[in-house]
Amino acid sequence: MKNKNSVKILYLLIEKRVRPARFIEIYRKNSGNINKTLNYFYQYKELKIESQEVKKYFSSPGNSCYKKAVSFILENKVGLLDIGQDSYPDILRQIYCPPPLLFFRGDKIKSADFCVAVVGSRKCSAYGRDAAEYIGRNLSGIGITVVSGLAVGIDSYAQKAALKEKGGSIGVLGCGIDIVYPPENRDLYQNIQENGSIITEFLPKTPPLKSNFPVRNRIISGLCGGVVVIEAGDRSGAIITSEMALKQNREVFAVPGSIFSPMSSGCHKLIKSGAKLITGIDDILEEFSDYQKQTLNMSNKSRRYKTRKDVDSSSKNLTSDESRVYEFIGCRPKSIEEIVKYSGLEVSSTLRVLTSLEIKRLIKEDFFNKYSRLF
Amino acid sequence: MYPIDYMCICIYNWIMFFKLDSFTLIGIDAIKVSVEIHISRGLPDFIIVGLPGKAVSESRQRVRSAIINSGFDFPVKKIIVNLSPADIKKDGSFYDLPIALSILAVSGQIGHSLFKDSCFIGELSLDGNINPVKGLISMAEETLAIGKKFFFVPFRIARQASFIPEINIIACKNLTETAEALSGEKQMIKFIYKNKGISNDASPGGQDFKDVKGQLKAKRALEIAVSGRHNIMLIGPPGSGKTMLAQRTVSIMPVLSLEECVEVTKIYSLYEKYVSHLIWQRPFRNPHHTVSRMGLVGGGVNPRPGEISLAHKGILFLDEFSQFSKNLIEDLRQPLENKKVVITRNHMSYSFPCNFMLIAAVNPCYCGYFGDESGKCICSLREVKKFWKKMSGPVMDRIDMRVTVSRLPEGDFIKMEYAENSDSIRNRVKRSIDIQSERFKGKDINYNSEIKIDTVNKWMKDSQKIRELIYTISKKYNLTARGTVSILKVSRTIADLEESRFIKENHITEAVHYRVGSSCNPEGIIGI
Repeated sequence: MKNKNSVKILYLLIEKRVRPARFIEIYRKNSGNINKTLNYFYQYKELKIESQEVKKYFSSPGNSCYKKAVSFILENKVGLLDIGQDSYPDILRQIYCPPPLLFFRGDKIKSADFCVAVVGSRKCSAYGRDAAEYIGRNLSGIGITVVSGLAVGIDSYAQKAALKEKGGSIGVLGCGIDIVYPPENRDLYQNIQENGSIITEFLPKTPPLKSNFPVRNRIISGLCGGVVVIEAGDRSGAIITSEMALKQNREVFAVPGSIFSPMSSGCHKLIKSGAKLITGIDDILEEFSDYQKQTLNMSNKSRRYKTRKDVDSSSKNLTSDESRVYEFIGCRPKSIEEIVKYSGLEVSSTLRVLTSLEIKRLIKEDFFNKYSRLF
Repeated sequence: MYPIDYMCICIYNWIMFFKLDSFTLIGIDAIKVSVEIHISRGLPDFIIVGLPGKAVSESRQRVRSAIINSGFDFPVKKIIVNLSPADIKKDGSFYDLPIALSILAVSGQIGHSLFKDSCFIGELSLDGNINPVKGLISMAEETLAIGKKFFFVPFRIARQASFIPEINIIACKNLTETAEALSGEKQMIKFIYKNKGISNDASPGGQDFKDVKGQLKAKRALEIAVSGRHNIMLIGPPGSGKTMLAQRTVSIMPVLSLEECVEVTKIYSLYEKYVSHLIWQRPFRNPHHTVSRMGLVGGGVNPRPGEISLAHKGILFLDEFSQFSKNLIEDLRQPLENKKVVITRNHMSYSFPCNFMLIAAVNPCYCGYFGDESGKCICSLREVKKFWKKMSGPVMDRIDMRVTVSRLPEGDFIKMEYAENSDSIRNRVKRSIDIQSERFKGKDINYNSEIKIDTVNKWMKDSQKIRELIYTISKKYNLTARGTVSILKVSRTIADLEESRFIKENHITEAVHYRVGSSCNPEGIIGI
């Protein structure tokens, strides 16, 4: 509770039921001066605020539901980030209705300088998972923070992958910061606080109501320069996020899927209506040329996806059997039967070679018993 | 025949008491039962005592008709038959022939010099013919054990019991023949069952591994599974050939030895009456998933072997494993561990052997197409997870190998490619089993699958290379501790197949394939 302004905003929102939109309206009227804004509210007679009351309120939290929430914040070291602070993301401040106060855990939200959102279906296919992991890993690898909604499916795959790299990840919740929703992601909740952060505008103990999520989605797109949609159905949260992104003047990217797959139909609709089709992260970076110049040059070395050259050099360490099998396995998945036939090896030795290639991260099993190169 | 006043004349020549030996079954074992008969004056009556079941009580009518229709006389006297030991419940139609013969003997209609060395079993039909009974083979063994020379059996299934050279199997078609055989040694020789040839017609019924096109990994996996007696689960979309592979697995198992053969036949002779000869083929049991608990494990008022016992020394194949109710699968736990199932009823415990190899076939998800190239799968990963969570943990723990089977591309069915036949695979399997029994001599285990955890830990401790490799693999494939133990056991079997004394690294890298944990198996959700 270092920042007095945060506390004051919290008090207004909780105890005096000031709507965030109203707060922002006044904030904008005062041309972004937080002190003037607060003065406006605190001197406003109808709210009947006495400064003594505010002090007392925080020194001895009582029994009311809101007070419990406050004591929770104090006890659990939940961070408060108000719109007046310098570390409040500029890009978020610019949207139509930014949250006046954010609850957060993990410091990434203060330090992240450029974010891209990766959103998609909770019900994703293996292809969607691979795409989410690929994009999450590579964005994070060049220092871009991946923002998403911590839901199961695409969101969590992208975030888990991003957390392993330096860019980290920010998760935006649709419930109070003390609630782990969905419960499957408990591990992710713990891990994300080290190299990322979780943020929410909802007060502690707010349950994950259905109506919270579209509200939350505006923060996801608001924090980011662009939104990548992977596997979204026709009417899904990811589509809502992309609509928000358009309103907020953000870029929308869509990863294509099979034309027969109902899971990708939303993405295809987006592409038809003008979203950028992407097949790799270079397509994303193209759109942020300023950023590309600033940051990419220095971090080019750390780009983690393998180029052709990398692969060739690493294949020097292979045994003759391994390189023969590796040569044969291309982009199209090859079945074990085909590999055995081509290489002329025994089934048992083929299986051994496949495992060692897999451990060396040169190939992957796309479908049951079908292998292709890993790029 | 006898004169009309036979009754009056012979009455003083009658013996009042007579006794002969027969058998009853407890579980799969036969025990001796003495059929005692006492005939006395009084109101004509025919009583059977000694805890007879319904079928035994009804035998009075069959015996009476059979005696009369075979041209003998049924004494109009008070007849009491006792089945001793009297405190064991007796059921079945075993005692028709013994009771009939005892009546004939006690009434002096046949000679009784040969009864001392003989045992009898058989069901009579009303015209005096002898019908088959269950459990004949166990009784033949017991005949030898109690030191009798002759065993009178129903003609139609005599071959089943004729594998013991020390006893003479007397196979009679009807009561008249039996009476003739009992009239003297000379006459008896005529009826001794001569087909003692223990023929081994173990042709695997035309089902051969060479019929399976492709599926190289699955075939290799089954070879390893049979060698180390690892239970195996085949995971694959519909139409990928899981059932076909499982059915052919019996053909690569080593041929049954005579002892094993007798054990299997014992169980089958309890299950059905018309087992005409020894069963030389490894059993392959394929119960439907609607099977009842009793049908699977065995049981009933008079306990019968269930499917797991019928699969003794062979294969129990559970197709659509996920459809079996959880209770049924849980029931397999103890039998898988103890290799026998003990069924306790209020008066007695029955033990049936069930040393089988389990093959489970299962689809990878609800719709069945997860991991299939066609991309037909409509399940989300969450649903796939849910599908696998349902599987019983403790039973899955006992399944060392989980192998994915994929569908052949269209058109590959008609390609004529060379595939190894079952005979040559069987030879390799046999060799590796020999190596194992050599190694486990004097221990209470026979196969690599039964290796205890401390042995596995010792392997890890002894070799740094293995330890490092296991570490890399378990990290790469998200393996559990139990998964790595299974991989090591399977590696041991692979090493045995190559006649290698130690587990090498490439044995382990191969074994990884038989424990699903690959990049197309996110977070190892399949085969948990």
